Amino acid sequence: MKKIGVVRFPGSNCDRDVFQYVQDHQYQAEYLWHLDQFNIHDYEGIILPGGFSYGDYLRAGALSARSPVMKSVADFAQKGRPVLGICNGFQVLVETHILPGALVQNSGLKFIDGWVNLKFENQSTFWAQKESQKNIRLPIAHGEGRFYAPQAELEKIEDCGQVWLRYESNPNGSLNDIAGVLNRTKNVAGLMPHPERAYADWMGGIDGWSFL
Amino acid sequence: MNQITHEGKLKHYRISQAEYEKICSMLGRPPEGVEWALFSALWSEHCSYKSSKIHLKKFGKTLNQTVVNAEGENAGVVDLGQGERVVFKMESHNHPSFIEPYQGAATGVGGILRDIFTMGARPIGLADYLCFGNIEADRMKTLVEGVVKGISGYGNSVGVPTVTGQTNFDPAYNKNILVNAMAVGLLRPNEKVSLSAAKGPGNCVVYVGAKTGKDGVHGAAMASESFDENSEAKKPNVQIGDPYFEKLLIESCFEVLQKNLVVAIQDMGAAGITSSSFEMSSKGQVGMMIQLDQVPVRDSSIQPEEILLSESQERMLLVCEPQKFSELSQVFEKWGLDAVIIGEVIAERKVKLYWKGHCLTSIDPDLLVEKAPVYERPYHAWKSQNQTEKIHSNLQPKDYISQLISYLGSTHGTARDYICSQYDQRVGLMTARGADHDVAILRLPDSKRGLGMTVGCRPSVMKCDAQLGGFDSVFYPALQMAAKGIKTLAITDCLNFGNPEKPEIMSEFVAAVEAIRDASLILDAPVVSGNVSFYNETLGQNIISTPATGLIGLRETVAQIPEDQFQKIGSQVYLLSSVSAKMLSPYFENKKSWIGKIEPQKTGQFIQKIQKLSLLTSVLSTQAVGRGGLGVSLARMCRPGFGFQSFIEMSVADLITETFYEVIFEVDHDAQHDFETKLKAENIDYKILGKVTERTFNLSQEIHVDLLRVNQAQNKGLGGFIENLA
Repeated sequence: MKKIGVVRFPGSNCDRDVFQYVQDHQYQAEYLWHLDQFNIHDYEGIILPGGFSYGDYLRAGALSARSPVMKSVADFAQKGRPVLGICNGFQVLVETHILPGALVQNSGLKFIDGWVNLKFENQSTFWAQKESQKNIRLPIAHGEGRFYAPQAELEKIEDCGQVWLRYESNPNGSLNDIAGVLNRTKNVAGLMPHPERAYADWMGGIDGWSFL
Repeated sequence: MNQITHEGKLKHYRISQAEYEKICSMLGRPPEGVEWALFSALWSEHCSYKSSKIHLKKFGKTLNQTVVNAEGENAGVVDLGQGERVVFKMESHNHPSFIEPYQGAATGVGGILRDIFTMGARPIGLADYLCFGNIEADRMKTLVEGVVKGISGYGNSVGVPTVTGQTNFDPAYNKNILVNAMAVGLLRPNEKVSLSAAKGPGNCVVYVGAKTGKDGVHGAAMASESFDENSEAKKPNVQIGDPYFEKLLIESCFEVLQKNLVVAIQDMGAAGITSSSFEMSSKGQVGMMIQLDQVPVRDSSIQPEEILLSESQERMLLVCEPQKFSELSQVFEKWGLDAVIIGEVIAERKVKLYWKGHCLTSIDPDLLVEKAPVYERPYHAWKSQNQTEKIHSNLQPKDYISQLISYLGSTHGTARDYICSQYDQRVGLMTARGADHDVAILRLPDSKRGLGMTVGCRPSVMKCDAQLGGFDSVFYPALQMAAKGIKTLAITDCLNFGNPEKPEIMSEFVAAVEAIRDASLILDAPVVSGNVSFYNETLGQNIISTPATGLIGLRETVAQIPEDQFQKIGSQVYLLSSVSAKMLSPYFENKKSWIGKIEPQKTGQFIQKIQKLSLLTSVLSTQAVGRGGLGVSLARMCRPGFGFQSFIEMSVADLITETFYEVIFEVDHDAQHDFETKLKAENIDYKILGKVTERTFNLSQEIHVDLLRVNQAQNKGLGGFIENLA
């Protein structure tokens, strides 16, 4: 069975949820501890789950970005292998500069929980592949999800087709309504919404299923 | 000791002269040194339940065969069958939250979570029960914002969803808000309950978690006192929480429990290391030798007395066999936490506290725990209050509509949306129904059944009559659960009252406790845990007595749960009734009176029937008639594109009456006949109120309004509430 690595930082809190999500997709799931590097040939893909890694001290994702496991993740991404960052995982990928931009405090200055409508702008080479539908609905839960980049960088992100997902109605003040971005080669993707919280009817939606 | 210093000492340690004399006679000498601090903490109302104990014993009767391991533990364990068990408890953090709302509320959440995972159960859901004063009152906006941020900041970060709750606003809470939190923990098949009774002389006493600081010293005693104008000076008594540490503590404790490395474990809550060490010893009928200088501290100037009383957060005390310590400490080290041996279990039934080689005290733990004073505070038998022959309203139809619209947009109508949008409701992957619903439902990962969760107690009813309000604290939330097909299984409570030394307060307390017990017996849903918060008074002004409750229940699946709002144009809207008492909604008529009588048996049967009916697939949505009466309940069922057309003429009095009890059912038009047959077979009184329509909200010829205005009021209210706060 193909294996997906789920990175575990101290303070990750969606790690168990993503583990379950991966298993339900008939992959083998394996935790990757923040202090350990891993053999990049052992995994089909890597997911960085949500939470408050290292308590979100300093800035969300800032400390995790400097942990040993991220050296392997960067290496893995560099080789064109699939990496997905969800919520805090997205913040970590941005802090490691594997993905562009920055995620800052919501414009409303409050944590927000709710459902959002989203539109796919560009395709990743691995994540959310099977889906032909462009409009989806997923839950969000974050305090620092406002996507930001200086004007020039933002234009580059747009021009290079790196905008992955856009909010239909912007909940947090993200520039250009950006909810998720891709790296240049599109094997690495990050998003603030939680696909792993919407993959069965009883969860309130199934649009998250197709992300893996 | 001369007279002045003696009285000063009693005051400082909040020990009465009679209690002092009791201590002297038990010890055979006056207390010395740190013993003052020990008695102050463990004999405080907060730790000893001295005013409530004899009444709380009445809940023992409610226990049934589903409750295992209730004796002496933090909470009873409820067996759900199929190997799944639940531990749940509710606790107050009123005083600290009023002084410092963010930290007070945050540490309230942290504390209740530790109560749950100390028993080996992973926390899966949180609920809040909040009572604020008038939103215009002094500091109230800061308090609302701070409390909500505190709960959200802590709960979201530790990764436990806050899935339900209740918020009340009443001027009676202007100077003493209530912040109660409930946590529910799950033991999956093959997971073991962990206990707190220390065992095995020679075993190590291990301190884990955050370091001890001077925060929260005398917290337990503070919580056992009324507020005065100097409350602000008590800020240093409020603890500071760190949810990140708590998360590490949860994961590491689970790991050592699963690896079977722990003999006994207890969180350090109120009165910190004192209560955990003495209680663990007392329960295990052993003693402990503790080296206080081995306790990890944040501040090297800290004194032994402060270590004993510190309420620094995110700490646990556990007992482990010496040969397992190295494996245990490796687990904590992996999670970046200290695990330090600070003592050992001894056979002699004495807790011996040492500081740098000196023995500070050697004292029988039972003297502080089991032999703490118990008071039978004076109270009188309950006589019903504010009960009248007739209720009637002079409110005119046209005024009613405008009042209804403004109610929907008021803090009463919409504050909850503002609050729960700040709570993570889905982390943990179990949430089938979150805080945007009347009742939360979590899907159990093994059996796939639905675990219902809700909180209760309506201060507006308590204000009328404490006995009616006590019954209602159980019956109303149980009815709300029943309307979603959930059978209530067990209850926890958090009894927030004023000064128990005042007979009228104590009488309300006893009336409410007995009502909760009786309702619990009728529903066969035992009271498995609880908390009492007395002295909720400021400058002699008591709060409304508020016995908050938390209920859990089960339904077989999470499929086809009736929604809270109308689902289908043209479907029939029924009102199912079993009314024994009524009152005019205080939101529309400022009268404090009720009619009828309390009929617990009848209500219990009604709840049972509603639960069964709610499982029918033809039932599209349901709502128990509640706050604001029938009119508000119908309006709350409307949403854009789904309004209501009445078939009967409803008077203003009908619409603003809060009944005990009625439930609105929306039933598929095609199933109307079958449904009515079932109602007749079950012998349930019912009325067809009307049907679901597309555009209007029509209650009678005189009382109607465009549906858009109802929708707008609901939405605008939410925005307005936030604006008000900004």
